[in-house]
Amino acid sequence: MTGRLAPVELLLRSRGRFSASSRRVPWNQLVLIILATGSIYGFAMGSFSGLTALWGQSVVEPERRILQAIYSALKVPALLAITSAICLPSFFVLNTLLGLRDDFSAAMRAILTAQGTLAITLASLAPLILLLYCSTERYTVASISNGLMFFVATLAAQVMMRRHYRHLIARNPRHRVTLLVWLILYVFVATQAAWMFRPFIGDPQLEVAFVRADDWGNCYVKIFEAVTRFTSGR
Amino acid sequence: MKFFTEIDRLLRGDATRASSLRAGRIEIAVRTLLIACASLGALYGVFMGLFAAMGPNVNIGQLLASSLKVPLLFLLTLVVTFPSLYVFSALADTKLRPLETLRLLLASVAVTLSLLASFGPVTGFFTLSTDSYAFMKLLNVALFGISGIAGLWFLRKALDSLFDSDRFLPSPAAEPDLPSTPKKEGAEGASDDEDEQEDDDAVLAQPLPPPFMPSQVASRLPPVRRTSAEAARARLIFRVWTVIFGVVGAQMAWIMRPFVGSPDLPFELFRKGRVSNFFEAVLQTLGTLLN
Repeated sequence: MTGRLAPVELLLRSRGRFSASSRRVPWNQLVLIILATGSIYGFAMGSFSGLTALWGQSVVEPERRILQAIYSALKVPALLAITSAICLPSFFVLNTLLGLRDDFSAAMRAILTAQGTLAITLASLAPLILLLYCSTERYTVASISNGLMFFVATLAAQVMMRRHYRHLIARNPRHRVTLLVWLILYVFVATQAAWMFRPFIGDPQLEVAFVRADDWGNCYVKIFEAVTRFTSGR
Repeated sequence: MKFFTEIDRLLRGDATRASSLRAGRIEIAVRTLLIACASLGALYGVFMGLFAAMGPNVNIGQLLASSLKVPLLFLLTLVVTFPSLYVFSALADTKLRPLETLRLLLASVAVTLSLLASFGPVTGFFTLSTDSYAFMKLLNVALFGISGIAGLWFLRKALDSLFDSDRFLPSPAAEPDLPSTPKKEGAEGASDDEDEQEDDDAVLAQPLPPPFMPSQVASRLPPVRRTSAEAARARLIFRVWTVIFGVVGAQMAWIMRPFVGSPDLPFELFRKGRVSNFFEAVLQTLGTLLN
């Protein structure tokens, strides 16, 4: 496999300049991979209402539906980037506190490679999502399946993260703590960021929008309110 | 004639002998495989569309549509499922390189379609002797199922001989190489893109490096254990993929329907309305047949 896919192959196999022991970290290639593959998945993810329009179900403003796909293509890489940017300062301070500053560039490499793996896995699942969109008109099915795809991609990213962290942990077991904190912090922030950046899929019954700015709020508060409503039987 | 000889070699398993697989190649051209898939699929498609063509509406269009759709169904299913298979097998760092994997999968599709095409006369015979649309649909589901299982059996056999081969044992030369790898990377810091690409191929062609572990841990693990674990991972990935391929193929067939073509409905390239799915439809048809 030569040409443009070679960096992807090296990244997934952790070989060559993408290996955990390589001195030179290919930052720009990593960023390019995340941008490109994240956009591929985003485009597929946002094409739900467009495909529904194509199949003849009545929707609001069918000709503008392609915009939703383009918005999502921009938003998926942005979601990954912004979440990382928010979490990095605390991660950096924690690493310093625990005396792991010397390994920080290796830790950063692990994080970026894991993000790359997440984005590549998502892109590889994009055809499956498109096939699913061609098989259902139900928005709930579409959102649950996208959740499932993100879950699978997160597992793949964890495999990569652990592969890179293995030799760091062997050097200093405190890396276990930073690994765990990163995971918890990232998921915590990413959930809220994804809520603020919605819609990614785009409900065919609602208007196309870059973000639903009129209804930002906090997703954890919303979940809490929903649970209270449910338990109080209202 | 050469074309049939090639397909014959494939069916006999000569093209996927352990020795050639071990060298990382399948001795049959991608072009031959694609032509085989297209022509064999088209052949069965003709038999499949015969039911509509001989029905009260005489839908000749269905005959042509089915002969295009059968090969397309298999190739599109491969297009949908291959990217994720590639990502997961690369992530598990198995020996399978993407192009060889794709060729192997195309070969299994060609085997599936060869068997399916050989069932053509059976479908033709039942088309001439039955009026039941439900029966024809289920017969086709069964024949596709049998052919699919045969194709997967072929794939599994090829993978077994690949994974059991000694190619997985790390060559002794690989280990002294490892400490020098970072140095090599550093020295190439200023190289341009073209050099990097050649370098990529060289890196990927190398035998698997030992796992990233401190030397004292790595030395306690015999290298063979890692290789068999790798083969087990690859097998698991392929097993999961097989299921995904089957489900995706079935649903793809549903989206691309009609293949047989209901005698009561006019000819359409694709049926409108996509709610429901393949599995529901098979159960419903079974219900119709039993009632």
